[in-house]
Amino acid sequence: MLCVTVLVLAVLLMSGCQKESQSLPESNAVYYWRTDLRLNSTERVFLKLYNINKVYCRYFDVVMSEGEPKPNATITFSDSLPEGVEIIPTVYITEDCMHRWHKGLAEKLVRRIRQMNETNDIAGVREIQIDCDYTAKSRRTYYEFLDSVRSAWGGRVSTTIRLHQLSMSAPRVDYGVLMIYNTGDPNKFDERNPILDLRDVKPYLRHLSDYPLPLAAAYPVFSWLRTIHAVNVEHTVEADEILRVKHAVEQERPTLSAAIITYHLDKDNINRYKPETYEEIYHH
Amino acid sequence: MKKFIIISLLTVVSLPMLACAGIGTFNYYLFNLYDNDDFAYRMERITTNNWKVYMGLGEDDWFWFSEEKVTEVAKQKNDALMQSYVHQLARYLQVCSDVQGDQWNYPTKEELAKRRTTLEAIRAYANTKLRTRLRSQHGLLYMRANMLLGNHAENVKFWEETASQYINSVYKDMMQNIYAGALYKTGRTEDGVNIFVEQGDYRSLMTIYYKRRSYAAINDVYNANPKARVLPFLLQDFVNNAQEADDAVKYESFGGKLFIRDITKDEAKQMIALCKRAVSEQKTDAPAMWQTAQAWLEYMFADKKQALSDIQKAVTMEGSERMQDCARVIRLYIEASMRKQDTDFDNWAGAEMQWLYNKGNRANPKPNTSYFERSSYYDNAFERIVQQVMADKYQTTRPEVTVALYKVQGFYGCQEYLDTTTIANVQQYEAYLTGAAKTEMDRFLKNAIRQQPQQDEADADNEYNDLIGTKYLRLCQWDKAIEWLSKVPIAFYQNRGYALYAALRRTSVEPWIERQFLRDAEYYSEGARRLYESPKLVFAKQMQQMEYGMNMLQGKSRYQRCYDLAVRYAQVNFSGDCWFIMRDAKSPGWDEVRPNEVDLAARALDYLREAAQTTDPQLKERALFALSYGELQPKGLWASLEWNSEKADYDRIPQRNSSQWKAFASLIDFERQNPAGIARYVSRCDEYDTFLKAYRK
Repeated sequence: MLCVTVLVLAVLLMSGCQKESQSLPESNAVYYWRTDLRLNSTERVFLKLYNINKVYCRYFDVVMSEGEPKPNATITFSDSLPEGVEIIPTVYITEDCMHRWHKGLAEKLVRRIRQMNETNDIAGVREIQIDCDYTAKSRRTYYEFLDSVRSAWGGRVSTTIRLHQLSMSAPRVDYGVLMIYNTGDPNKFDERNPILDLRDVKPYLRHLSDYPLPLAAAYPVFSWLRTIHAVNVEHTVEADEILRVKHAVEQERPTLSAAIITYHLDKDNINRYKPETYEEIYHH
Repeated sequence: MKKFIIISLLTVVSLPMLACAGIGTFNYYLFNLYDNDDFAYRMERITTNNWKVYMGLGEDDWFWFSEEKVTEVAKQKNDALMQSYVHQLARYLQVCSDVQGDQWNYPTKEELAKRRTTLEAIRAYANTKLRTRLRSQHGLLYMRANMLLGNHAENVKFWEETASQYINSVYKDMMQNIYAGALYKTGRTEDGVNIFVEQGDYRSLMTIYYKRRSYAAINDVYNANPKARVLPFLLQDFVNNAQEADDAVKYESFGGKLFIRDITKDEAKQMIALCKRAVSEQKTDAPAMWQTAQAWLEYMFADKKQALSDIQKAVTMEGSERMQDCARVIRLYIEASMRKQDTDFDNWAGAEMQWLYNKGNRANPKPNTSYFERSSYYDNAFERIVQQVMADKYQTTRPEVTVALYKVQGFYGCQEYLDTTTIANVQQYEAYLTGAAKTEMDRFLKNAIRQQPQQDEADADNEYNDLIGTKYLRLCQWDKAIEWLSKVPIAFYQNRGYALYAALRRTSVEPWIERQFLRDAEYYSEGARRLYESPKLVFAKQMQQMEYGMNMLQGKSRYQRCYDLAVRYAQVNFSGDCWFIMRDAKSPGWDEVRPNEVDLAARALDYLREAAQTTDPQLKERALFALSYGELQPKGLWASLEWNSEKADYDRIPQRNSSQWKAFASLIDFERQNPAGIARYVSRCDEYDTFLKAYRK
């Protein structure tokens, strides 16, 4: 009986340790998603005010073009980040690029990132991130692609994880960024906020505690302007809703409060919320 | 006699593919003040033609710039100057390709520096050739290099002091275009914009005004200068974006158009007010443009009656010829939408449609022109008006006019309509085309159709007889079908796209036991497709004989006849191998029972149910097996497939209420007591085997 108790305790302790190991170092970060790296004074003040130490900067997209994946919308570096802020080159890959294996794609992608860093005097890059809305159809190819990226890069590699991807096996990367936005159906905008609604997040929470990959959390601060029935509709998320969701996901997986990212750095997004809201979002 | 009914079977065969690709919504822009001849396309076309002349190529020859090929010709002509120009031009084009930026090889610092050095070398070279016979080409090269180097002030100076004195040519136009860009870059925006407007360079205008296209921005431009040359461009952009927003609601816009801006009702109403002000202040040279924009916005977003009143004034106002045409087009759209159809309407609308048709390229087709060149504003407006106004207007009152409008427009729906409508409607359409015109609309349509390329009269007759005969086949009226199909020669069917299938497939083969796939060699064998009899006529006669004799049969022979008839109905159903008897094309996944045709699968099932009553175990087994055939199921298959993301595979979910489940269950019950044992075609059927496992669970 004693042996059994000891065994159970050992298992519990080990699993506790495992959960602890899933926590990432504390960090405040933003995504930068424009095609020209050029910060205005509001954005620079924001980085300083909220101790932003990482910028996930979209370097380029990879899209299918004439049957092959090709770079698209490459960023221009008209400016540099403030000293002390780490840049994490981020590449968005459209899902159809992963419908079949493209030999050498990972190597080309990594080589391009390295060259962009070198040409534009961007030093000290330790990590890259790959963003892809992979599905059951593309998952296997994408994960193998990530393996190749890791091998080619040699340093840290992260990837985005959408809520619906939590039910799949985890990719073999250093950590994932849980994208906690674009959760609703854009066609049912009058019922739920398509950017974020706790009711849409809820069904996925059960997968959170067991997801076997360290996770950072990314929250939406952007707006989405579109025309519906000849009327401009601007979708934005209420500050309270963001905080409610943050509370819910952190309750399910407390380590999600360690590394926090907002999507995305932009003067209008900064001005949309009160400083207290940003302080709450970046609260660890 | 029937030569006006041109039913191209090739067109019909392509219909399902069109359906797959999706059909546009014909939401062309009606407020259009410029020709399609965009500056960049125009320059490319002219320079290409110049190269062709130099290379000694014909107008229809294909040309793509190649340093090697042009140099070869230049060498033959001992043209050293051209050789050096082409070499430097190729170097410049390579730099242009490199600076695009979206290639896997991102440039190194050294490559960027080399690019600059190359451009400077090209610039220096071009500068030394500005007094040669190719001075215009070299002047352009000089300005191009400066443009990429960012030497905009130098380009302004070069144009104003030198290049503007050159003789008129396509190269001078391009230099002026670079000059306009340089003016913009050096702060002289209005001067640059005026040149872009004059040249019809809408892409550059869009680049400059991309974020200044709102009502507020246009209002500012108007207030600063009511005669600003950019105003027609901005107004057109605004109104077309408003139309796009309106179409998105009405027609679920097809998308794909660039630079669409969202226009709200409020903003459209503000623009209406600005248009009113522009007309009333009389500071504009083009009141017709403002009045037309106002009416069209009112029609889409505000008051349709007011729109009609305003557009009627617009057609009498001052403006360029194109602006006045635009007003007339929009008046036709608005007025036709709002008036009821009667003889007066037919006379007025017929005359207006005739005018619009004559303005477009349909009336005067130009050979060897691209799609964009063929589809002018007038052609597009004609299509929109037919599709969104006229077709619906006549659909119930005079459907034959709708078909004729589609025919004149060249819309595929014309063929589709004739293929699926009633026999009476086809005959009514034929009578319309051959009868006397009663209104202007009739006169316009009949003349326009008569001017279209005509088929040989015998071919047209054959197509007509085949169409009516096939319609009777689809209704299973064998006597009538035979009457019409007897008039069609075998040669007619020999030229159909389906001749190969017709030659090699038989309607007597049981589809649930044997599929009639064609072998590869047969696809390419001319001999294999030889027809010796009319497939449709043979089928009609066979069915007539088999069905009319049914009442005489009893017992086993009747059950056998039921089974044999079911085989044939299943074969000529759209899912069968002999689909060509009833249709001109097969489109798996899209085909269904259409109006004015018998449900052939249902009829096959009826016969099979009767055949299954037999006491002959072999026939009963065949009939029961046939009843479970997936292609005939009216109420679904025995299992549905649902994606299981955990397994990354489909799960089969049993559907116990489906017709196939019940049919398979009956077959299993029968096989349990079948004294002869399970037939090989049943035991080897993988679907039966899969079902059996699910059924046992």
